Amino acid sequence: MKNLKTKLLAALLLGTALAPAAWAQDAINLTNLSYRTGPFAATGTPLMNGQRDYILMLNERDGGVNGVKLNYDECETGYNTEKGAECYEKTKATSIVTQPWSTGITLQVLPKSNVDKIPILAPGYGFSPMTDGKIFQWAFNPPASYWDGASMIIKAISDGNPDNLKGKKIALLHLDAPYGKEPIPLLQAYAEKHGFTLLPIPVGVKEMQNQSAQWLQIRRERPDFVLMWGWGAMNAGAVAEAVKTKFPMDKFVGIWWSGHDGDMKTAGEAAKGYRSISWSLPDSNAKVMQDIKTHVVDKGNSLIGEGEFDWVFYQRGVLISMFAVEGIKAAQAHFDTKVVNAEQLRWGLENLKIDEAKLAEIGMTGMVGTFSTACNNHAGHAGGWMMQWDGAKFVKVSDRLEADQAMIAPLVEAEAKKYAEANAPWPTNEECKM
Amino acid sequence: MLYRTAGQFKTSYHADHALFPVRQDAILLGFILLLAFVVVPLTASEFTFRALLIPVLIYALAALGLNILTGYAGQLSLGTGAFMGVGAYACYKLVTIFPEMNIVVAIALSGFFSAAVGVAFGLPSLRIKGFYLAIATLAAQFFLVWLFEKWAWLYNYSSSGAIQVHNIDMFGITVAGPNATAVTQYYFVLCFVAVITWFAINITRGRIGRIWKSVRDMDIAAELVGINLMKAKLSAFAVSSYIVGISGALFVFLWRGAAEPVLFDIPLSFRVLFIAIIGGLGSILGNYLGAILIVALPVIISALPSALGIPIASATVEHLNTMIVGALIIVFLIVEPHGLARFWAIIREKLIMWPFPH
Repeated sequence: MKNLKTKLLAALLLGTALAPAAWAQDAINLTNLSYRTGPFAATGTPLMNGQRDYILMLNERDGGVNGVKLNYDECETGYNTEKGAECYEKTKATSIVTQPWSTGITLQVLPKSNVDKIPILAPGYGFSPMTDGKIFQWAFNPPASYWDGASMIIKAISDGNPDNLKGKKIALLHLDAPYGKEPIPLLQAYAEKHGFTLLPIPVGVKEMQNQSAQWLQIRRERPDFVLMWGWGAMNAGAVAEAVKTKFPMDKFVGIWWSGHDGDMKTAGEAAKGYRSISWSLPDSNAKVMQDIKTHVVDKGNSLIGEGEFDWVFYQRGVLISMFAVEGIKAAQAHFDTKVVNAEQLRWGLENLKIDEAKLAEIGMTGMVGTFSTACNNHAGHAGGWMMQWDGAKFVKVSDRLEADQAMIAPLVEAEAKKYAEANAPWPTNEECKM
Repeated sequence: MLYRTAGQFKTSYHADHALFPVRQDAILLGFILLLAFVVVPLTASEFTFRALLIPVLIYALAALGLNILTGYAGQLSLGTGAFMGVGAYACYKLVTIFPEMNIVVAIALSGFFSAAVGVAFGLPSLRIKGFYLAIATLAAQFFLVWLFEKWAWLYNYSSSGAIQVHNIDMFGITVAGPNATAVTQYYFVLCFVAVITWFAINITRGRIGRIWKSVRDMDIAAELVGINLMKAKLSAFAVSSYIVGISGALFVFLWRGAAEPVLFDIPLSFRVLFIAIIGGLGSILGNYLGAILIVALPVIISALPSALGIPIASATVEHLNTMIVGALIIVFLIVEPHGLARFWAIIREKLIMWPFPH
């Protein structure tokens, strides 16, 4: 088999060339599995920019965290799980946290996190049962899981009492991928308990931009509400179709990833009334945003475009980096060290306390709900707000909504257990007595 | 000089039919096997195993399967990704239903499922040819991926619709799942790929391979000399899908660790087809060369700037990557339309004559 030849020559060259680059000992590496390319680049880019700018601002303003510089780096995945797994392999030696940025990649790296001992930080995405910290020791999805989001949306559209939905029909327009399927088990449990009909309408990744078939079905079925779990080009496509079919916009509600300014801009006035749940509130006048403006944007170090500074997604990116940084701070205090490692960061993320005092201290008052994580609760359940598109921007239209944990908790327990059994032997956290 | 074949006399039919009649080829192969089995495992880093070596081997195996169908038997197929999916899901069901089953047996068996599906979707080839057949296999591609999404039994009713590989032991060593080490998985894949490649070389140069080639070159003439077209075409579909199915099972179990249906969608089919075309249709070596170009090169390019300390944003590297690999594909196809394997064949011929060309 001379066939094996060249591959191996290349491999030998690489084995030596690709040894992980050495990194400075007095800095903490935070690598982000970004996607500024590919079909989801439009939604990914502002989030990555927000994450990047918060870290740059901390380095510029405070010289890092407690004197330790933070190295923000990116590994481009293009939202492709294959590239994501490759990036994970590439960064796991240096980065103290994995930010997979896609439910598909999260599922891929989840089992490996137990072995490689690197925490996965998936704020507001990933696998909802990750909430169960006893089973998913290394995975974190603060401040809220998709099931929290679904529960909050149900609360909002039923005016606080899900029984109001009795006999109604709710369509779930979702991306046909693990991400889009996430809310289905919880919504089904709601449908059974409160007597409404759930109609999942999948949108294939290939047909994101042409959803005429799905909207024809919506027109025929006349659902009372359409919920959307969309991402990237699917959001703009759905809003455009809703406008075309004259679907009442106030009956159309999206998850937090379907509330992107850039997606709504094309529809503009016509999409007025569309709502999206959000665990973050943009506030361009908050102290942290002003600091980013002076230390990063005004110095020309940011990558953001015109008007992006005010976007929900940009500012959500800032919050996501904040979770990682607060985890680092907690770990620094607890272990009395400067440069925390991955295992110490895991402790930090498990003991996040984001209360009003903390938010005031870091200049983020009102930008995110207060929450705290614990060894059995890796999501924190911060709650969120309904945002409504007013034709030009998203505005807050509700008080803070809390997810109904009585509905979610049994499902989390069952699904987490199912996962652990299917992947046995799966290590669980026996020390956690909560 | 290095490749001089003068003086290598064949004194028996047996010697003349050897796998490598030229001594230098055998030496080269021995050297490569030594490299693959001994040197590389001792030197490569975990990243090299997981991002370069294992995927190159698995993709080369998938392309090898496709090459038997398209390159040797001349039946164009666009359903490779879906057939890989059949192998992967079959293997997943086998190891979850029979947890005691040895993983090697499970992977070998899962190939039969994809072979059966391949033969079923190969039936149209008895009546239609060329582009029309490509459309029929495209139907398989769409149908099977749809089935992976909708048939919840296939993924054991998990809420995410994805399949996950748990830790699987063989003789006390974990070979698949999160606890498996990269070296073990590399050896596992390497052995599988080596055995199947040996099998493929022999089948394609023997009687069956010649039947396939005659069907490819002119099926009417082949029928006139007494070749049973149905048998020839369906056996090509069966063997090809078997290998593709095994590569799919290895793809998920020994490399990815988890898979969602969309993974087996048409981009995967095209990727494997590109590897086969750029490597060279109708060759075994070409699959490896093509896999190196299509699978390994982008990884190498994206790792280069940081390894050399050049500060370029990761997204920019990705854009550059697409441009470089795209340009290289066009260059190679212009320079040698028959693929990289032909390129190597020309080099080898020149070497044999060097330094005294006629």
